[in-house]
Amino acid sequence: MVKLLFKTGVYIILILICLELFVRVLHLGKDNPSRFVDALKVEKWKPNQTGFSVTGNRRQNFSEYHINNSGFNSYREYTPSYDRVEVALVGDSFIQGFHQDYYNSLGKKIENNMNNNVDVYEYGYAGYDFADQIHLVNAYKEDFDKIDHVILGLRYRDDLLRGDYKVVNDRMKLEAPLYQNLRKIKLLGYASNIGILDPVKKFPGKIISFFKNKKGSGAEKKKTNQVDNHARYLKNFKSLISRYGYDKSRFVLLISVSETPPFFMDYLKDNNFEYIDFGAVLNKSKTPTTLIYDQHWNNHGRTLIAQSISDYLIKKINTPH
Amino acid sequence: MLFNSLEFFVFLIVVYLLHWIILRKSLKFQNILLLLASYFFYGLWDWRFLSLILLSTIVDYYVGIQIFSSSKASVKKAWLLVSVIFNIGLLGFFKYYNFFIDSWVDLVAMLGYNITNTWTLKVILPVGISFYTFQTMSYSLDIYYKKLKPTIHFLSFATFVSFFPQLVAGPIERASNLLSQIDSKRDFNYKQQVDGIKLIVWGLFKKVVIADAVAPIVDDIFSNYQNYSSSTLVLGAIFFGFQIYGDFSGYSDIAIGTAKLFGVELMSNFKFPFFSRNIAEFWRRWHISLSSWFQAYVYIPLGGSRQSKVITIRNVLIVFLISGFWHGANWTFVVWGLLHALFFIPVLLLGKNNTYKTGIIAQNTLLPSVKELLKVCYVFSLVTLSWVFFRAESIKDAFGYLYRIFGNFSFEAYLHPSGYRMIDYYVLILVFVLYEYVIRKNERAPFQFKNKFLRFFVYAVVVFAMLLFYDSGVDRSFIYFQF
Repeated sequence: MVKLLFKTGVYIILILICLELFVRVLHLGKDNPSRFVDALKVEKWKPNQTGFSVTGNRRQNFSEYHINNSGFNSYREYTPSYDRVEVALVGDSFIQGFHQDYYNSLGKKIENNMNNNVDVYEYGYAGYDFADQIHLVNAYKEDFDKIDHVILGLRYRDDLLRGDYKVVNDRMKLEAPLYQNLRKIKLLGYASNIGILDPVKKFPGKIISFFKNKKGSGAEKKKTNQVDNHARYLKNFKSLISRYGYDKSRFVLLISVSETPPFFMDYLKDNNFEYIDFGAVLNKSKTPTTLIYDQHWNNHGRTLIAQSISDYLIKKINTPH
Repeated sequence: MLFNSLEFFVFLIVVYLLHWIILRKSLKFQNILLLLASYFFYGLWDWRFLSLILLSTIVDYYVGIQIFSSSKASVKKAWLLVSVIFNIGLLGFFKYYNFFIDSWVDLVAMLGYNITNTWTLKVILPVGISFYTFQTMSYSLDIYYKKLKPTIHFLSFATFVSFFPQLVAGPIERASNLLSQIDSKRDFNYKQQVDGIKLIVWGLFKKVVIADAVAPIVDDIFSNYQNYSSSTLVLGAIFFGFQIYGDFSGYSDIAIGTAKLFGVELMSNFKFPFFSRNIAEFWRRWHISLSSWFQAYVYIPLGGSRQSKVITIRNVLIVFLISGFWHGANWTFVVWGLLHALFFIPVLLLGKNNTYKTGIIAQNTLLPSVKELLKVCYVFSLVTLSWVFFRAESIKDAFGYLYRIFGNFSFEAYLHPSGYRMIDYYVLILVFVLYEYVIRKNERAPFQFKNKFLRFFVYAVVVFAMLLFYDSGVDRSFIYFQF
């Protein structure tokens, strides 16, 4: 029995080492850039890093990222000026675009659509909510004042959970030595990425619920919570724009109207907040607009959204103030 | 609790350690542990149906003793009928009641009478009912045919009926094999344990990598067959063959491997059926525990092939039709069985049903002869054709599917429904077939390589393939659980 347990243990370790080698040789695991919080309390990537982002099993999506001097994924450096027309795209992982080669990003597509008459600065960072975005714009006010159009990505259900900005410590914990060392194990990253570790993560919860036999909240309670959430989200939105400022002449929200409740859309319209509805073009598309393995936009999705933004910009630039 | 779930492995490790460390000195306590573990394992699906297993256990335990102790043949027969009626009754009610009512209503409607169907019931099919009812019935039948003496240990018999590695989808064991092992002291055998672990790994590979990888493709093609070209429909049928083989033989390997961990040897259920050279050989290699059950308890009692040709053909037809019907309450399974009977009868009439009773393709050579290869391809084509009926939702769909293949053949490259590269799947199936060919001589030793490094490399590649083809979005349940 001892021999069996010992040999099984040895074999498991040797196989894990082999798997780590396979994952590294075939580059199945993604690279992980380091993050930091700068002097203005803005969380971003450490400048000048390059690597590859991998999504799904068998490398379904493989793309290169490049973190510029400003700490964001882009092929260009950000040097805002009053001479050129500049556009800032601010948002979460969708804008960050690790799922596409950095030289073929959403911003680059917009520049191409506009015949390179505009410079697009992509301030995308995975996990940014509206508080992160509006704080960033406020913290770098001097730079953003020089930018002609600021497009802020807003996903209603995720991005308005707080009405004030604070550094998200949970994300920064990922820079702790333990997590940094775990990230060096590429096999772990790959396994986590494809969801094979999900049963392990969920197992303690399953055991607890098996013994406790917890009953879920009723539909009525859920409905009440939803009403409460709507009021809270709107309050948070108002709080953030009053605290950090919002220039309606230059700022525009990038929203999927079909995923945003009508009362919030009414509020935006009544208060003259401009928005670009990217959901409309995605919903119309007959070919998939997202990746296989997650819901981030694929190349086709990005092309459609870039076109929507370009159309808006052309209209905006050509409209006299 | 599925074999391919984390819960099962935690459960298995706990039961294993209790069995071999805490309770190793007492067979009685080991059997109590196995019984409780089996009831817990089954109860996690639906604890209410534990009562059915218990009832089936009590009935056949008692019937077995009564058959054995009765001196009159008529009394023996009467007790046997109790077992058969009870078990078939259970199966009939839970599995076939609604089917018969619906079919009767349809038949009446075809004759021009419309009746409102208010007799169908909301019946849940208890998992594994087709397997454990056949297993308990075989116990009473073996005693009746004087092949077996009944056990007086209820605990052993209950463990035999509910032994968790093979409870929900077989192999359908005979008491002469399994009960005797449960009744005897089991020693910890290092080689047996290692063989068990290897079979579990190989079974998991077949399930996670082969069956689950092609499942979304098969589902897509069969659900939307009206929109696909002939070549895609052929691909769907071929892939379904690999899906069901990977799924069921993978399950069987895990079951056999798990049983080995407790010192129990179960019968083999699959022996590389896709390398069969005629349909008779296929049935000696596919779902062996079921086909041998039907042979022993239906075909031979009916007279087998010892009577006239007409009676033999009748017997073959009966066995295959019942076998098809056993798989599910749908006419598609009956047609599937009928097709196999039609494939089998010419082989039987030509006296070639025992040609490949032993040995396997390229028994003493590295490569098969062209003749052997052609025969394998021929059998594979017949079997693939029959899978269309097995997989289709209805007879109409099955014929529609076949009509689109044979009506006007067209070719079109197929794209994966989720956008994955299809070449990965073609390579996967090709490599799998080649590997199965390499290990074809022993279904119980999938990693039988003398070179240690090669063997280790194969282990690593097999586990790596699971990582490569793991898809969290796929339904991971086993196909045969629904039967």
